[in-house]
Amino acid sequence: MYQIRFHGRGGQGMKTASHILGTAFFLEGFNVQDAPRYGAERRGAPIFAYVRASHETINDRGIILHPDLVIVADDSLAMIPTAGVSVGLDAHTVLLMVSRHSAEYWQSYLDVKNKIIILSPFVEKVDSALRPEIGAVCAAAAACLSGEISRSTLEKALREELSDLKQESLTKNLDLSLNAYDSMNGNKGIVTPKKDRPLDEYTAVDWIDVPFDQASISAPSIHAPLTSLLANTGTWRTMKPIIDYDKCNGCHWVCSTYCPDSCISVDDEGLPQIDYDKCKGCMICVVQCPPNAIDAVAETDEPGKKNTQTKGVSP
Amino acid sequence: MSESQDVFHRMKDLPTEHLLGGGTPMCAGCGGLQAIHEIYDVLGENTVFVNAAGCMTMLANYPYTPFKGSWFYTAMASAPAGAQGVRDALDILVEKKRISKEEDLNVVVLTGDGSANGMGLSSTSGTIERNLDYLYVCYDNEGYGNTGQQTSGGTPHGAKTSTAKGELGFTGYKKDLFSIWASHKPAYLATIIGSEPLDLARKIEKTKHITGPKLVIAFSPCPTGWNYDPKESVKVGKLAVKTGVWPLKEYIDGKVIHTIKHKKRLPVEEYLKTQGRFDHLFYPERNEKILKDIQDRIDKYWETAVFT
Amino acid sequence: MSKVLLTGNGASAWGARLARADYVPAFPITPQTEIIETLSKWIVDGDMDCRMVNMDSEHSMLTAAGAAAVTGVRVFTATSSQGLLYAMEMLYSTAGWRAPFVMANVSRGLSAPITLESDHNDILAARDSGFLQIHCATCQDILDSTLIAYRLTEDPRVRLPVIVNLDGFYLSFTREPVEIPDTKRVDEFIGPYDPENERFTANVPVSQAVAVLGGTPYSYFRYETHLAAQKALEVYDEIAEEFAEKFGRHYPSIETYQCDDADSVFVMMGSFSTKAKEAVNQLRKAGKKVGLLQYRLLRPYPAKAISHALKNKKAVGVIDQNISIGKGGVLHTELASALYGQTGAPRILASFIGGLGGRDIPIQEFFKIVDTLEEATKTGITPEPRLLFTSQEMEEVRKLQAIANQIPTTTIDTTTIDTATVDTATIDTTIDSNNKTSTTQRSTD
Repeated sequence: MYQIRFHGRGGQGMKTASHILGTAFFLEGFNVQDAPRYGAERRGAPIFAYVRASHETINDRGIILHPDLVIVADDSLAMIPTAGVSVGLDAHTVLLMVSRHSAEYWQSYLDVKNKIIILSPFVEKVDSALRPEIGAVCAAAAACLSGEISRSTLEKALREELSDLKQESLTKNLDLSLNAYDSMNGNKGIVTPKKDRPLDEYTAVDWIDVPFDQASISAPSIHAPLTSLLANTGTWRTMKPIIDYDKCNGCHWVCSTYCPDSCISVDDEGLPQIDYDKCKGCMICVVQCPPNAIDAVAETDEPGKKNTQTKGVSP
Repeated sequence: MSESQDVFHRMKDLPTEHLLGGGTPMCAGCGGLQAIHEIYDVLGENTVFVNAAGCMTMLANYPYTPFKGSWFYTAMASAPAGAQGVRDALDILVEKKRISKEEDLNVVVLTGDGSANGMGLSSTSGTIERNLDYLYVCYDNEGYGNTGQQTSGGTPHGAKTSTAKGELGFTGYKKDLFSIWASHKPAYLATIIGSEPLDLARKIEKTKHITGPKLVIAFSPCPTGWNYDPKESVKVGKLAVKTGVWPLKEYIDGKVIHTIKHKKRLPVEEYLKTQGRFDHLFYPERNEKILKDIQDRIDKYWETAVFT
Repeated sequence: MSKVLLTGNGASAWGARLARADYVPAFPITPQTEIIETLSKWIVDGDMDCRMVNMDSEHSMLTAAGAAAVTGVRVFTATSSQGLLYAMEMLYSTAGWRAPFVMANVSRGLSAPITLESDHNDILAARDSGFLQIHCATCQDILDSTLIAYRLTEDPRVRLPVIVNLDGFYLSFTREPVEIPDTKRVDEFIGPYDPENERFTANVPVSQAVAVLGGTPYSYFRYETHLAAQKALEVYDEIAEEFAEKFGRHYPSIETYQCDDADSVFVMMGSFSTKAKEAVNQLRKAGKKVGLLQYRLLRPYPAKAISHALKNKKAVGVIDQNISIGKGGVLHTELASALYGQTGAPRILASFIGGLGGRDIPIQEFFKIVDTLEEATKTGITPEPRLLFTSQEMEEVRKLQAIANQIPTTTIDTTTIDTATVDTATIDTTIDSNNKTSTTQRSTD
């Protein structure tokens, strides 16, 4: 059984990606099980999708803990430990990553020896969250890497799953996806299904008897204010607002009022300050700033910088 | 109006330190969250928000809460009944001297348009009938947002939703929640929007000095549900007001008075064009029938509007 | 220490009054209304320092009850059948909030078809919710159990809402002698409510009942609620012992009557348990070794006590006044799971379903149940579950059906229904040996 796990952000078409790959396997005569998994279903937020494909009946279900192929559609997720990109990797797992960095870079960063295949990001829109075609491209590449799906079958699957798109969009998606498929020909079949392991190779289970806790802590209540400050939603951001203080005229702090996430406060000198740990990059401040003093800049990954957020979703 | 106008004279009077914490899982650019963060600044932390199921339920998810004050999740139909219980209990505690007056809190119900227009009507009606002293904030994004933008009682005519996908969109009409609530003769009732922060702050400030049931509806542009780029949320909100789609008004002493007047109303198309949920009214061809229907209804509404 | 005649509803109201409930959100439903009417009068007359609020529905009522409880006041409310079900979402919710309060449920059969009379399907629908359940058999029991319930719900080791169940009509509207305990003693027994950290006040921010993402934290919270419910077994025993010392009446989690040397045991719950007691008395006079096990606590389920009480008994007849459609009697099912694999578990565990919708269980049915159990003990074969229903009752139903379905006066072949008019006062319906319904006209005088 092939087990493939997608990592992406809301808005990048991860659900569609799993459906494209699932349908492609299905058209090749496989039994298939595919599903997305949402944390908070929001644009920019990390999400997962899973595909299982086998010639046998598929009995397992739910999250994929032992993937044969891990697809990372947005490499900023690889820097967030809780996004769980390297969970369950073993020696045979292949990683496919959309990134400007090299395979060696990521092997070092993630501290793994796995085969990593890089898909270069095509830069048409600067904001990576506005690229729903990423999902289709990843699915197409994965189809080739599996060695089980022909180009024509992939095209069929793409057409089937993207039938809702307008003609122009559909054509673009097809072109990009089929190109991605072709670009993987050198690695065709490199993804292999894991063989069944002997029982004693599974990690031991450690059951406990849950201890009785008093209601003062075992009720679902939070006895503290503002613990959300520990949740760094800044990791959702694909575009960053940067204030040009030369242009800022300290108007009536429109940016501070309009920011839905309370990310902009005004300091003692009357200058607005953005909390980048929380800023989701909605860009309302950029659009509304009266003297146009805020610029929208694409988030770049900073080499060597590990994101230390404590909150996230795990697969 | 003049009292709160003294407190919030101009935009610079609005708070610049914000009470509601960041780090919540609301969509980037959420018009509802924008309104709530503005409201919370005016209300202050001596509040307990009583919530019904909807997008904002996710504001507090264990162990993260953005509130400096208190929060209480109840159920989809009964947040106002929860408010009844909390308000009565606080009154009893103060009356029986188990807490001091300084320990008392203001009770604020927070629900979406789904709960408010639908199953929440029974419990809301009950609280107004019983003259409960509380504030009800409804964030209206015109659909059941948290579940994927299905049609709700707040969905407007012609809008596409995930359960109204045909080329006509939703063929029904938006419920007039304001009138339903007004018919109960509450102590205060108003419409607000995050893109008009001064109007919003004045109205919320006013509610702090009124006893009895006070209800406000905050129009909440929703990038995810209405299908537009999050950065346009304020622009969409301003257009809702400028085209007359979202009248800003108050019900006070039995009269409905509008608080923002347009010199000249923009055609409703200017607003509709900004959102993907109305795309089918323009592409591949214009649906003149629906567009005219929408414009006519808005025109008709404004014929009888009264201003301060 | 004199007694007065009180209805079950009256006793329930007295329980709330003595416990000094602060807040009563209310919504009327037969057969509970007398409870809230009584409380209302006391409040208006100044006999009870309490606030009552008329809510718009039971769902709202339960929400307000739980909300007030987690704000920090002592709450009482009451409902029945349809109202309990309408509120069902909030039963689970308030238990999950760990809201401490007491609710009286006046047991009534569930629609459809709609009835006003008693059985236990309503209260049993709540058995998974997290609410604890105390089942009363007499009016004194109701008052006393309400006081015990307040100690139980507010105990920091428990903090779960409690239902005190009383059967509609058979207890709710029936007067029995009740001793109303002295208020000073009750104050010593219950004391004021200490909400600990479950409250809403300024300067102590708290976010209560928040959402949870992920199966692991959810599992934790739900399971802790279960552990608290189980802890309630030992807490209940402590409280019941204290109550016995203070007030002289004993309320163990299960009551056994003449069980020690019994061969056959009835298992019952609620007001009809006293009928079973009377049957035991008469059977004992006739030389039969019979006993009764009566549940008082149903949640938490006192499995060990029950298992111990039934050890080495030859046969058990569970009389369920409820039915789980598609499975059978709920108490029977739960008892089977408690006894399975236990040393000395009775060989025969028979299921009887009676009393649905308030149907009486006359004493001769208890006698016949014992006959059945004795026969089963001899053969070693447990009989199939039986609905207590007689041939006379079947006749009665057929008569009603004939009217409802307008079957005419002459003998008919049931494959052709004539629409001739019918004189309903004189219809006599019998079931012949082929199970065909035929009617004959009787003379009118």
